[in-house]
Amino acid sequence: MMERKERKPYWRHTKWQMLASIVPFLVMIIVLPLYAGSLNTEKFLGFPLGYFLSAHGIVIVAIFTVASFVNRQDAIDHWHGAHEDT
Amino acid sequence: MSVTSRTRFVNPRLGTYFGIFASSLTGLVLLLVIFEQLGTPETILRWCMLLGPLGLYGAIGLLVPTREPLEFFAAGRRVPAGYTGLCMANATLGATGIVAMTGTFFLIGFDALCLMIGGLAGFVIMAIMLAPFFRKFGTLTVPSYLGRRFENRAVRLLSAALISVPILLLLAAELRMGAFAAGWLVGQPESLMVMMLVLAMVVTVVMGGTRSLTWSGSAQAIAAILALIVPVTIVAVMVTNFPLPQLTNGPLLRALTHQEVTQGVPLVDASGLAFMLPGEGFAPVAKRFTVPFGNVGPTAFVIATLTVMAGVAASPWLLPRVTMTPGVYETRKSLGWATVFFGLIMLTAAAVSVYMRDFVMDIVKDGPPASLPDWMTRLIELGFARVNEGALSFTSFEFARDKVLLSLPVAAGLPNVFVYFAAAGIVAAALVAASAAAVTLANVLSEDVVNGLSWEPLPRDARLWVARLAIAGVAVFGGVITLLAPTDPLHLVLWCLAITGSTLFPVLVLSIWWKRMNAFGAMAGLTCGFAASVLTILAGEASILGLDGALAGLLGLPAATLGVLLASTATPGPTRSMLELVRELRIPGGEVVYDREMRLLRLKNRERD
Repeated sequence: MMERKERKPYWRHTKWQMLASIVPFLVMIIVLPLYAGSLNTEKFLGFPLGYFLSAHGIVIVAIFTVASFVNRQDAIDHWHGAHEDT
Repeated sequence: MSVTSRTRFVNPRLGTYFGIFASSLTGLVLLLVIFEQLGTPETILRWCMLLGPLGLYGAIGLLVPTREPLEFFAAGRRVPAGYTGLCMANATLGATGIVAMTGTFFLIGFDALCLMIGGLAGFVIMAIMLAPFFRKFGTLTVPSYLGRRFENRAVRLLSAALISVPILLLLAAELRMGAFAAGWLVGQPESLMVMMLVLAMVVTVVMGGTRSLTWSGSAQAIAAILALIVPVTIVAVMVTNFPLPQLTNGPLLRALTHQEVTQGVPLVDASGLAFMLPGEGFAPVAKRFTVPFGNVGPTAFVIATLTVMAGVAASPWLLPRVTMTPGVYETRKSLGWATVFFGLIMLTAAAVSVYMRDFVMDIVKDGPPASLPDWMTRLIELGFARVNEGALSFTSFEFARDKVLLSLPVAAGLPNVFVYFAAAGIVAAALVAASAAAVTLANVLSEDVVNGLSWEPLPRDARLWVARLAIAGVAVFGGVITLLAPTDPLHLVLWCLAITGSTLFPVLVLSIWWKRMNAFGAMAGLTCGFAASVLTILAGEASILGLDGALAGLLGLPAATLGVLLASTATPGPTRSMLELVRELRIPGGEVVYDREMRLLRLKNRERD
């Protein structure tokens, strides 16, 4: 069980992790499709690059964002003793 | 004392059970392929393809009845992350997400990505900002969470009333899409199929509640994904010799892009807020596949992405599912799986549309043909496509949006059973989402409306029977709405997400991340978000505002956020116990808040006796 004095540092750490996970992802999903047209002149795996990045790329980045968040947040939970009993 | 644990009580044989289900389904399809070659009448094959899987889902649902409230309302909190993610990915947009999205990709190409990106972002936001905390709180419905979080029954009742609107929209959309596929499959009127689906849904989930919903829903989700992926994988092997349709259509797409230029497919440039998704009727290919912003303007693309994101992240038919996982860590993982499955479904839908465009392009790429190929004639006979008069070109062909998915196996010359399998998959996907919507709304009715003025639940048997009656009532009511007001399912789902996102997203996020928020803020946020989004949708339909209803988040999200901020700061701060509650829900470890309340209530009642 977590000590009371650990609550604030834990929440501060959690907030930074949240921002670090969400902000780059949101910037990417908003900005990337806007430039897809100009990126389409290049190709990757046969796909026009802009389309590939907006479809497959965002799927991969979304999975990576959640996976890295799960690992990082779990480490934060253990560091501050906020994790669940196993 | 019940304490959260990562692995408690998970059934180790789940993989075996669902392996048996997947094998049975594969066996049924192969058997029907053999019978088709032996000349069995089509009608028998079609009915077997519809009723066989429905029987399996019903059997799974009926085999897991329960009389325990925690099992009935939260599947015993022991659904592993993978299954939760699978069900969530399918229940997000349901059959509409598979069928209408495939058609939309086919007709407008790149611009349909805004819905896919919005869904993915919704899962990411839910995983990081909402779900782990909702799981720690452990309430069985979203209104219960809001009511207990703000210690206010009015918030609970208000949120229950407001979220029932988008849930009903989703239920109507899914029943309509399921009835379309089932009706086409067995040649019966859609109204009859709506009634059949309602009956199938009630029989499947009424005895076990969310327990039946989860396990029958997992089976339906597996069936839906197999039915989507198998035909297009066979086509990918035929065309590219490689069984990964999502990744191997690149060279095909580049060739298609060049041919679209020579065929004179229009190069459209949509204005900023234009949002023109194809409707249900026949439509020609509107624009080149990979060129962005022909039907959806760049600003509308971003707004649609964010609106869908907010709707998915806060959807009240998905959030309670995370309370069914064994713990907070599993909840986070389940959202990762949901992202994987949702991405897979959407990329497959995009691949289907690319292959389908390629098949159509093959007809005309060397100039107007002397006659149409057999498969195109068959598609026209089936009512999936039609050809305009005059010299044939790529844009002479018009397709019905919701029939593009069913057209691919016909175009590839696969046995008819694969078309029937695809239709059965659509029915399965519709059942996943419709059942999720019906059970969620029924739980809201029984827990937060019928018993909304008390924090103490009804006695066990009464509680379960009220919930069962509510499931039947909601399912029938959803069926009646579908029959009386048939509307384009894609529009219904987009409106549903816009209203959900605007009403709930800012309130839920701030209820966790802003300690100062109070019950007045919650009520103001809910009301402002709901009112702004509904008015925007109505204004959009009446062409007053020039903003499509699907983009209602543009006004709804800021309105709800402002409502929360202004009302919370203008009224007295939260009480000490509310502050303690929010501090507690932020920490994954320790006892689940709702379970502790129930334990203390039981103790209190025992002392009283």
